[in-house]
Amino acid sequence: MQIHISRAGSSEGPFPVEQVRQMLASGELKPTDHVFHEGLTNWVMASQSPALATPGGPPPLPAAAAAPAGSGLLTAGYSTDARREFDYTVEGRPDFAFLTVQVPANQTLKVEASAMATMDTNMEMKTKMRGGLARLLTGESIFVNEFTAANAPGSIGIAPGAPGDLEHVYLDGDTIFLQSSGFVASGMGVTLDSKWQGLKGFFTGEGLFLIKCSGKGDLWFNTYGAMFCVNVSGSYVVDTGHIVAFTDGLQYEVGRIGGYKSLFFSGEGFVCRFRGQGKVWIQTRKLGAFASWVWPFRPVERSN
Amino acid sequence: MNIELLSRPGNAAARVVLAPGENLTSESGAMIAMSDTLALTTTTHKRESGSLFAAAKRLLAGESLFLNHFTATSANGEVFLAATLPGDMLRYDLRGENLIVQSGSFVACESSVNVNFGWQGFKSFFSGESVFWLQLSGTGPVIISSFGAIYPIEVDGEYIVDTGHIVAFQETLNFTVTKAGGSWMTAILGGEGLVCRFSGRGTVWCQSHNASSFGHELGPELKPR
Repeated sequence: MQIHISRAGSSEGPFPVEQVRQMLASGELKPTDHVFHEGLTNWVMASQSPALATPGGPPPLPAAAAAPAGSGLLTAGYSTDARREFDYTVEGRPDFAFLTVQVPANQTLKVEASAMATMDTNMEMKTKMRGGLARLLTGESIFVNEFTAANAPGSIGIAPGAPGDLEHVYLDGDTIFLQSSGFVASGMGVTLDSKWQGLKGFFTGEGLFLIKCSGKGDLWFNTYGAMFCVNVSGSYVVDTGHIVAFTDGLQYEVGRIGGYKSLFFSGEGFVCRFRGQGKVWIQTRKLGAFASWVWPFRPVERSN
Repeated sequence: MNIELLSRPGNAAARVVLAPGENLTSESGAMIAMSDTLALTTTTHKRESGSLFAAAKRLLAGESLFLNHFTATSANGEVFLAATLPGDMLRYDLRGENLIVQSGSFVACESSVNVNFGWQGFKSFFSGESVFWLQLSGTGPVIISSFGAIYPIEVDGEYIVDTGHIVAFQETLNFTVTKAGGSWMTAILGGEGLVCRFSGRGTVWCQSHNASSFGHELGPELKPR
C-alpha cells in the first residue's frame, strides 16, 4: 500500500507503508501530520491511520493536539482533499501560501490573472474572460489566464495577491461558492460562473458577488489571513467579511444576531447565517477591517 | 470552557467551546463565526453596570465601550474570535490577581472576569491617544492578542518598555510613565516618546511590533484623505 503524507501545508508521496513507519519512528513525520491511503475517505492523522497502526498501538497524541471537548456537532480544522487532477505543492502555509502546480504535457490550467509568479519556458499563456460580463462588475480581476504546457510537462508557481492561506478541493460534479477574490487556479473541467447574490448581500457592502465553481477537477482558493473549515450541521453564523467559500446545498441569508442593540453596537453588523449540511471555509483576518484600521493614518490634505 | 488557539503566530484565532450555562465576554467586533445556538447580547462595558452618562463620556473619549456576551443555553456551542491586525494570541488564567490590558489587545474573557474600563493608571499621560487600558480582575481565562509576536518579560527589579509595545502586565508591578531619554528633547527626537518604567516583581507581555508605528509608516504612502 502507498501512503500520501501532508505536513507543514504541503502534500508528499506516495511512499510505501514501511517508509512512512520509519519516518514516524524517527520523528521526521509527526503523529499529528496527516496521511491518506487506500481505504480512507479523507485525510487522517498518522496516529489514527489503520495502515500505520502498530501491534503496540498507535503512537500517543501530544496533549495539545487532542481534539477539544466540543459539542460533537461541530468540527473545525484544515481539510485537505487527497483526490487530485494535477500534482501540486503548497508552501508557506498558513501566512504566505504559495502554490506550485505540475502541468503534464499539453494540459491546461486556469489561473487568476496576475497570480502567476514563476513558470517553465514551455508554458504558454492565453487570456480568457470567464464567467461572462457579470464578472466585470465584481471589481475583481476580470480575466482568467490559461497556461498550457506545450509539448512537454511544465511547472508553474502561483502567488495569490493577499498574504494568507490556500486550500485545495477536488470537485467531482459538486459545486463550491467562492467569495469573489478567492479564486486562485483550477483545472479546465471546472466551470467558473459569477453569481449575483441579489438582495441577500445588499446590506453587507462586501462580497456582493460569489463565484460559482462546478464541474470536475482541481480548485484552489486563497484567503487573507489563515483559514479554517467548519462542518455545518444545523445553523451557523459567520461574519460576512470572513467567508471564503462554502459548499452548495447550504442555504444562506444575511441577517443580524442578538437584539437590535447588538446590530448597532456589537461591532458585528450583519452576519451570514448558513443552514443545512455542508462546509464553510473561514478566514481569520478581514482585508476591509485592515483597510479601515489604516484609514486614520492617512495624511490629511492641506487646503492651500 | 475550552479554548483552542489556531494558526499561531501569524494570523491567530481563538476557538472557544462553551458548555450549557457558560458565558464568554468579548471585545465588540472580535467574533468571526459562531454556532447559531449561542445567545448574543451587547452591553456597555460590564453587564448591569455603569450609568448612561458614564458611557456617553467614554464614547466621546474615543473609547469603545461595547462588549458582546455569548451564552450557551441548551447545547454546547462554539465561537471563533480574531483581531484585526496580523499577530499572535495568548491565553492567561486569572486567579484573583489584577491584569492591566491595552484596550486593543483585549479579545475575550470568561464572563466571571470583571472588566473595568475606568482604570486611571496611565490616564494623565495618554489622554491624547486613543489607547486606553482595561483592568481585568477575578478568576477565569482571558484571551489577549498582539500585533506581531507576543513575549513575556519577568520583571524582578526594574525594566523599561515602550508604551506601544505593552500588551498586558500584572498589577503587582509598580510603574511610572516617563520619557525615554534624559530630556524631553532627546525623548522627542529619539522617536521613543513615552516609555513605561516597571519596578517590583511581575510579568509584562510585550508585542514585537508597535501598531501605531506601523500606521505612521504606512499612512504617508497613501493618498491624503
